[in-house]
Amino acid sequence: MTTVGPDGEVATPAGDDPGVDRRRHVSDYFRLERWEVPPAGGDGPSAMGGRAPVDDHQRGPGGGLRTGGLLTSLDSLGGFTSGLAALPRWIVTTSLLATVSELAHVGPLRLRADVLRRGRNSVVTSLDVVDEGADDRHVAAALMTCAVLEPGAMTLEFDRPFALAMPGPPVDPVGPVEFFSIEPGEGPVTRLRLDDRLRNPWGILHGGAVAMLADEAACRAAASGLTGTDGGHGVAATDVVLHYLRPVRVGPVEARCTVLGTRAGRASVRVAIHDVGADDRLVTLGSVTVLAV
Amino acid sequence: MTLAGYPPPVHLLGDLGMEAELTTETTARVRTRATSPVASADGGVRIGVLATLVDIVGGAIAARVLHPDWMATADLSIGLIGPPVGPWVEARGSVLRRGRTTLVIEALVVAVDEDGRDVVVDGRAPDPVAWASMTFAVLPAKDPTQAVPRTAELPARWAFRGGELASPILDALPVTVLDAAAGRVSVPVRPYLHNSFGAVQGGVIALLAEAAGAEALGAAQGRGASGMVVTDLQIAYLALGKVGPIVSSARVLATGTDGRAGAVVELRDAGADDRLTTVANVTAAPADLVARAVP
Repeated sequence: MTTVGPDGEVATPAGDDPGVDRRRHVSDYFRLERWEVPPAGGDGPSAMGGRAPVDDHQRGPGGGLRTGGLLTSLDSLGGFTSGLAALPRWIVTTSLLATVSELAHVGPLRLRADVLRRGRNSVVTSLDVVDEGADDRHVAAALMTCAVLEPGAMTLEFDRPFALAMPGPPVDPVGPVEFFSIEPGEGPVTRLRLDDRLRNPWGILHGGAVAMLADEAACRAAASGLTGTDGGHGVAATDVVLHYLRPVRVGPVEARCTVLGTRAGRASVRVAIHDVGADDRLVTLGSVTVLAV
Repeated sequence: MTLAGYPPPVHLLGDLGMEAELTTETTARVRTRATSPVASADGGVRIGVLATLVDIVGGAIAARVLHPDWMATADLSIGLIGPPVGPWVEARGSVLRRGRTTLVIEALVVAVDEDGRDVVVDGRAPDPVAWASMTFAVLPAKDPTQAVPRTAELPARWAFRGGELASPILDALPVTVLDAAAGRVSVPVRPYLHNSFGAVQGGVIALLAEAAGAEALGAAQGRGASGMVVTDLQIAYLALGKVGPIVSSARVLATGTDGRAGAVVELRDAGADDRLTTVANVTAAPADLVARAVP
């Protein structure tokens, strides 16, 4: 049975052949396996577990899954967890605060999402990431807030406890920049084409795609001012703050970066993301810390 | 001040000598002196104190923009950028989006001189001290739990007057270290630290998260808290801390090759059934790595 999950993901019971090209969906690109963890006492919101490999074509200059990709999986898992907690109402991510303390990952990465607070208007979720291939080293943590919305016309239907098997490896792997339709370039402005595969079923740009754009744009903006420890110019994003202010519907999407300062091998970059085709309105604002690696 | 009877005569905000100004309908600035009691391990201003500035500037803007509704800080993020090279640090806040249930604000913290002008070094403005953002939850005025009286008109300028901090700010709160390696620190809930809801003020929560993270990460690296500088805070405010003491715990994340490391800090209200009030992601670096100029 193919159904639609609470954050708009295509859901299939574990072990079933999905029968669809999952690589077309953002969260499937990172091959995120997901499973619901019902509350021990039967009361309260479920937690969610997740696992994702670190495929070579998705590794960044830090040696592990690049931060934008990690945030995509965190957004998917955290959104799903928040969505389950809010049922029958819907949710939309409003902020994602993440710190990545270890950029080199062996993989696979195991994720865990727990609801911290379920209120009338919002759900707050904590997320943790450990590297199973490195003795469960704790490599990242995040906090996500979702606004609770009244349900629209779309019917949400899925089995509980929810489970989604890990998609298989892609036949023709492409890097994240290509997959997310981020245009080549350098400097303070980076563009993303809003291809249909980057939209969720509500027709808006996936939050993970916004995170990947912020990562890539901040790294490009900061690269010229940072020098790696080996004299090279590899850079990678670590701490990321994103406030999703409005949905992205039209495109193209432009990330405009301001390098606020550079010190001790790290740059602080303010990232303002605009939906150019929607009167250039500001859709996301955040900051990215970029390290020389 | 904007609230009847708040803050009380003896209060942390008064001892920090904060001065505030509403600059437009949607912007404000708040400043405090960069003094030794608020200094971190490298001589810069503690990120928790900067977070307090940001919380106040955000609250000032939100009070005006949301009037007659009220608000509560839902999340706050702040990251250090450059050294504080002036005698004052000033947070300048502006509205990013006003929604039905939330208000999002960003703030830039800069160094300013005695006259409130941007400090100039070698003919140019130095890097800002920090960048911050926060989300406020809108509390409708009709909500019966909203019991905070407020004057009808907000003044354009005000100052929090009190004494001066004679000792390091963590001693003034006071923060007690219970178990450094576990990031267990404690602070009592008392009027000196209250916000307008009678709970621990959001900036104090940030200071507590900073202290807990520095203790845990300093212990993990064998440097001690005094050898670490917290550079980033990402805070989710979940519930008010009204009873106390507020007690922290920390989980240490992996350490990067240059000594930077992160921790997840939880704060609980021990007197209220250990209720989880706050979760914070804390990033710190060895003090000698980030060596900032001392004003």
